[in-house]
Amino acid sequence: MSAFFKSREVILTAAGLAFVATFVPYFVTIPELSVISTKLVTITALVNAFTLALAVHSQFMRGMYFVRRRSRGWILKAYMMVTIVLMVIFATMGQDKGPYNWVMLAIVNPLSSVNYGILAFYMASTCARAFRARNMKALLFLAAGFIVLFYQAPLTGSIFPGIEPVALYLTDTFAMAITRTFTMSVTLGAIIFGARVLMGKQPQVLGLGGE
Amino acid sequence: MSVSDEKEKSIFRYLSEYDRRIIYFLLFIVVVGPLISPIAMPISVSPDSKQYYDVLRTLGSNDIVLTVLDTEFSGYMELQSGVIASTRMIIEKESKMAVAISHPEATIIPDILFGALKDLMDAHHYTYGDSYLVLGYIYQNEASVASSAEDFQGFVRQDWQGRPIKGTFLEQVRSWKDISLIVSHTTGILSGSVMNHFALRGTRMIVNCIGGMIPGQKTYLNTGILKAVLPAMRGGAELESLIGIRGLGTKAMDAFTLGHYMLIAFIIIGNIGYFGYARPRAQKARTGG
Repeated sequence: MSAFFKSREVILTAAGLAFVATFVPYFVTIPELSVISTKLVTITALVNAFTLALAVHSQFMRGMYFVRRRSRGWILKAYMMVTIVLMVIFATMGQDKGPYNWVMLAIVNPLSSVNYGILAFYMASTCARAFRARNMKALLFLAAGFIVLFYQAPLTGSIFPGIEPVALYLTDTFAMAITRTFTMSVTLGAIIFGARVLMGKQPQVLGLGGE
Repeated sequence: MSVSDEKEKSIFRYLSEYDRRIIYFLLFIVVVGPLISPIAMPISVSPDSKQYYDVLRTLGSNDIVLTVLDTEFSGYMELQSGVIASTRMIIEKESKMAVAISHPEATIIPDILFGALKDLMDAHHYTYGDSYLVLGYIYQNEASVASSAEDFQGFVRQDWQGRPIKGTFLEQVRSWKDISLIVSHTTGILSGSVMNHFALRGTRMIVNCIGGMIPGQKTYLNTGILKAVLPAMRGGAELESLIGIRGLGTKAMDAFTLGHYMLIAFIIIGNIGYFGYARPRAQKARTGG
């Protein structure tokens, strides 16, 4: 029986039916199909939620491997496993108060904020060193960058209101054109990838990589 | 070569090869200085922030707003002025509000947010359960967003502390059609999914996003899928200016302005160093002179 469910044909058929059930209701109103689609999506969401438990399990398996072999950095893996266990225990005591709340407020959030904040220093240093007018294209890029940077500083707009239409022209034309190209490329890539999965040409995605 | 030429070259060399820790130090000074002692520089209001403000102004007491905290706590630092100002407007309009979260770090934000607005909430009798609900970390992935858009009651049955939503204002929300407005405060975790499953179907959606996301979000604004985009901390400050408060965003704008000017100054200095030292040196090396 398990061989039947593991067979390529059955998995591809299930994927195809799931695709039809969720895709078609976007374009054609068929009440029965909409019910199936809604239930299927809800089941998927719930199953996905359990992947968090799987992630914890995987981290433990990997962490234990490091600890048993005393590989480089094993102590950090051990520390990570201890903190995972502690956070799971803390979370059961309530999230809006108690130890979970304290760990989030006193440790996780400040570290997360620092991690984000120090990026500004690296980005400033990188910009100052990388933006060189090496040729005409770089000079044009630099000029556009200057206008947008000046506009981004809120004081500039209040002193020189004339900078706003110029900066908005640059962001609403050139920048938007590039962003759209990027978005459309990614979307087309995703569509092609999806079609390849349904045609069985990306077997790894469906867990058929070994066949 | 004269002594003055040597000296001039050494200045260019310094401008080309100065220690990057100087940038770190000066940036630290221009950021921390104005935060300790604000200068209160004037700020302009961009059309994007005005548009965002206009959308929030249309809310009424019968509207149900879904606020999505689609951010890590780190990203919240950049978004918080916009988050607080937007929530302030929603409370002032006395619209109903459900808060959904898409990152575990953001589970702590509602406490901070509603703590900061306690006086306003008391003044408007804005109470938990009747006026707003925190649903917690319900958006783990796209499937969860899709599920809430199609079958809200099937997907959401309780708030983040396990109290049933039955009997609250959320009982009337069946699908995407029953949400009046989505306000997504986002670093890009699941805002695309929210847009796909709510905004593309017709739910009005506005976005308060971090700086790096603005060009990408504006393409959706341009096509009408999003109704407004609030550009990061600067947008938050502008929204504060529009609603007439002086909050965290406004206070940060001095540092924001000086930081930008400092960056421009260092780019100019770097280019002087490049043309005065690095470029001639590279040319000399190429020609063997």
